[in-house]
Amino acid sequence: MKNRMILVYIITWLVGLLWLIPFLGVFMTAIRPLDELLNGWWSLKPFNIGFKNFLSAWNHPTAALAQGILNSLKVVIPSTILPLVIATMAGYYLSRYRFPGKRILFVIIIITITLPQQMIAVPVYSMLSKMGLIDSYLGLILLHTAWGIPWITFFMRNFFATLPAEIEEAARIDGASDFAVFFKIVFPLTLPAIGSASVLQFNWVWSDFFLALITIYSPDKLLATQRIPLMRGIYHVDWGLLSAAAIMVMIIPILVFFLLQKYYVKGMIGWAMK
Amino acid sequence: MRRLVLMVTLIILIGVFLFSKTLTVIGPWSGAEMDKFTPVLEKFEKEYGIDVEYRIYRAEDLANILPAQFAAKKTLGDVIFMWPWFVLNQAKKGHVIDVSDVIDESKYLPGVLDNVKMNGKLYGAAYTGKVKPGFWYRKSFFEKHGLSVPKTWNEFIILLEKIKGIPGIKAPIASGDGVGWPLSDVTEHFIITFGGPNIHRDLIAGNIKWQSFTVRNAFEKLTSLLKKGYFGEPTEWTLVLKQWWNGDYGLYFMGSWITGMVDDPNDLGVFSLPGNKGIVFGADYAFIPKYTKYPEEAKTLLKYLCGLEGQTEQVKQGGHVATVKNVPLIAYPPVDREVAKLLEGVEALFDLDDSIGGAFQTTFWDQLKLLWVRPERIDDVLRTFDEKMK
Amino acid sequence: MRKSGFSQFLIFMLPALILLSTFVIYPSIKTTLQSFVDENGKITFKNYKDVLTSRDTIDLSGFSRGFPLGTLLHNAIWIAIHLPLTVSLGLILAVLLRKVRGGNILKSIIFLGMVMPMIIGGVMVRFMFDGNLGVINAFLGLFGFESKTWTAYPETSLFSLIFGSVWLWTGFSLVLYSAGLETIPRDFYEAAAMDGAGPFKIFFKITIPLLKPITVVVVTMTLLWELKIFDIVYVATMGGPGGASNVLALQMYTYAFRELNTGKAAVVAVLLTTLTITASYPLIKGSSDAR
Repeated sequence: MKNRMILVYIITWLVGLLWLIPFLGVFMTAIRPLDELLNGWWSLKPFNIGFKNFLSAWNHPTAALAQGILNSLKVVIPSTILPLVIATMAGYYLSRYRFPGKRILFVIIIITITLPQQMIAVPVYSMLSKMGLIDSYLGLILLHTAWGIPWITFFMRNFFATLPAEIEEAARIDGASDFAVFFKIVFPLTLPAIGSASVLQFNWVWSDFFLALITIYSPDKLLATQRIPLMRGIYHVDWGLLSAAAIMVMIIPILVFFLLQKYYVKGMIGWAMK
Repeated sequence: MRRLVLMVTLIILIGVFLFSKTLTVIGPWSGAEMDKFTPVLEKFEKEYGIDVEYRIYRAEDLANILPAQFAAKKTLGDVIFMWPWFVLNQAKKGHVIDVSDVIDESKYLPGVLDNVKMNGKLYGAAYTGKVKPGFWYRKSFFEKHGLSVPKTWNEFIILLEKIKGIPGIKAPIASGDGVGWPLSDVTEHFIITFGGPNIHRDLIAGNIKWQSFTVRNAFEKLTSLLKKGYFGEPTEWTLVLKQWWNGDYGLYFMGSWITGMVDDPNDLGVFSLPGNKGIVFGADYAFIPKYTKYPEEAKTLLKYLCGLEGQTEQVKQGGHVATVKNVPLIAYPPVDREVAKLLEGVEALFDLDDSIGGAFQTTFWDQLKLLWVRPERIDDVLRTFDEKMK
Repeated sequence: MRKSGFSQFLIFMLPALILLSTFVIYPSIKTTLQSFVDENGKITFKNYKDVLTSRDTIDLSGFSRGFPLGTLLHNAIWIAIHLPLTVSLGLILAVLLRKVRGGNILKSIIFLGMVMPMIIGGVMVRFMFDGNLGVINAFLGLFGFESKTWTAYPETSLFSLIFGSVWLWTGFSLVLYSAGLETIPRDFYEAAAMDGAGPFKIFFKITIPLLKPITVVVVTMTLLWELKIFDIVYVATMGGPGGASNVLALQMYTYAFRELNTGKAAVVAVLLTTLTITASYPLIKGSSDAR
């Protein structure tokens, strides 16, 4: 029995190490000057640490990450709040009310969740173009909101299914309108689910590349994720700079993950079960 | 009295506001390249008193945005630098201003304005260009190892063999990677040298197939070197530049802008493939969209930029070669004078993939990356080129 | 469940429906219609013929001369390798990490691959396989292999991306299975242990069957991810060299935004969607039964 446990420990820590190594590589490449790394970042002599790469990526004259991260926040925050509000209401509606065509609507929502973004790309581009919303954050925010609605609706509806309706019934008997019931009673109870959905939506929108790629073009408006591939090939960059940039862009969702891990994991599970 | 002063000030301010026009120039240059361009714009501002604003957009992005803008009768800029095939493409749709009245074709190198000309009228102008003259080497490296510039193909092969034998060398010729143009530049050089300038032009016009005998023959010369391992594995082009400078490689095929990228430009030497009769001249082209608010001022700016004044100023910054005639050799920094001299006696040709553009360009770049590591796939590659030429 | 009045529909459901219809449903229909329209505006099946017979999509000659095999086959290979690997790895690790102290830390490390934007994931994968700086070469160097950039060669570029993506996605199945394991009551295990069943028997006869619902979800979501893969390929190889690592989503993008051929792009989009809807059938069916 003991031997088996030792084996398990060895395997799992080996696996852990395996998983960690790429991160180590990126980190080393980011903090050491490129000349030292020309023959592999694992060579430990010489070993000079510097943060020049981070500063260069942050202030890059053409693809500055500082601006990129700010731009991403400008898009991500509204794109999280808006669909959360709209889809929570829709999810509530689906879980509490009967109406003609409900099953069809439900199936449509599920199908839209599975759609690839490529299915809407071209028409959405010409639509936004006609509205004058290409290269504008409003256009992108609307897209992300619409794209987030199906899955958040589904998610919240599953949550509401676990919430007993008695309290709402009692309030209604007392004369409260449907809307009052939702906003005053149900909503506060929904906060944990909203927390989870928000964390997931935040991460999802922050990580988005495709929708930004087809809607945002002005160099100063580019989002953080768009600046990363630009650092390969066109501009004067090396792996050190690219690594530093990569770390800075992934640090935000990783931080969110570590701080709100509980919500994150609950969110993924709630999404999966039921 | 005070009210009068206020009103007069207001009128003056409004007047200044109404009359102070700002022209917007759009170009792809950023970083160090942009730093070389801004002095040219600043000189214009001083001389003509018109404000100019420079905005950066990549050509691929402009290819997506501009058509939509023009369709809505709007424009992002007054003078825009773009690929020549795109300029003509938009001119056909009526979105470009005819600039034949301000650009005099006879003042330019012969043929350089051909790919922005339609029905005898000029729809764009040629700015300075960068030349892709040949293989660069460090003079100190050659001296140290007793190497000399080859005068025949056989001498070239012997040179490559010699470099291959030097300890510490990864490969005789460095291969640049990136979007794809480093490999396409050296490929074009082989096509021109062994197929000739006419074949190069025919390929651009679509008059000859990639799988034809002459073209295939030129490619075979390239693949014969690839198969012998004379080229290095494609590596990010600025990284491999450092490695080449440090002595990991002997030769590097690159454009003339390399002179601005090394510590000691005077240590640079360059030679074309023996027998070469044409050099690719990657000129930049600019045009004026019909929807500019200031057509007359834009024409003045275009005339300045692409004329003797602007090009001379640009050439002084280094790394550029003029498309307009009569720019004094003294205006060029010393290293660039060498490059300018290389152009004498050979034909100036257009960059092939920039001229054909569209789907072909991306496929061209991608297929070359394949050819570099699998030269035996030459037939498949040429067949794909023909397929994408439609 | 109450019967809905009109005002409830208006306030709770309408905003969602408007946004959904405008930006998702209508464009999807438009793309489908667009796939039947050629460059001259005529209605025809030409686009389907062009795309489905194109060497971009399926290239059988690739079996004799080497990659590319076409985007359809590339995605299929991606699924064939990535799906079994990540699902089983995730499950095995979930079981092992339950018993190990510090298992949660390891879980988090493995999960980081999922948390990062996939564009960065692509950079990390490209970096892993780099000839000069990549870990894979360092590892193989220990066994005497020569260094090369695995993503630059047609035979290995797709496989590099696939194995890199296993590193990225395993965290998903790990987390889901971990949660699932928590829901299995201890009594099951105790009863089985009392009957003399060994750990492997318990694993195969009890754990796996009980985890079936989770497995359905993990497999479906993973399938969808593999079909829609874009960012990683875009930044690591852009589908190259010579199309050897091209995938459906990237093919659609190239047709639409580089070649400016919306008809062919629409066909690829429709093809991709058909595949994703087919893959999600269990999920769709399960949900339509729900009220």
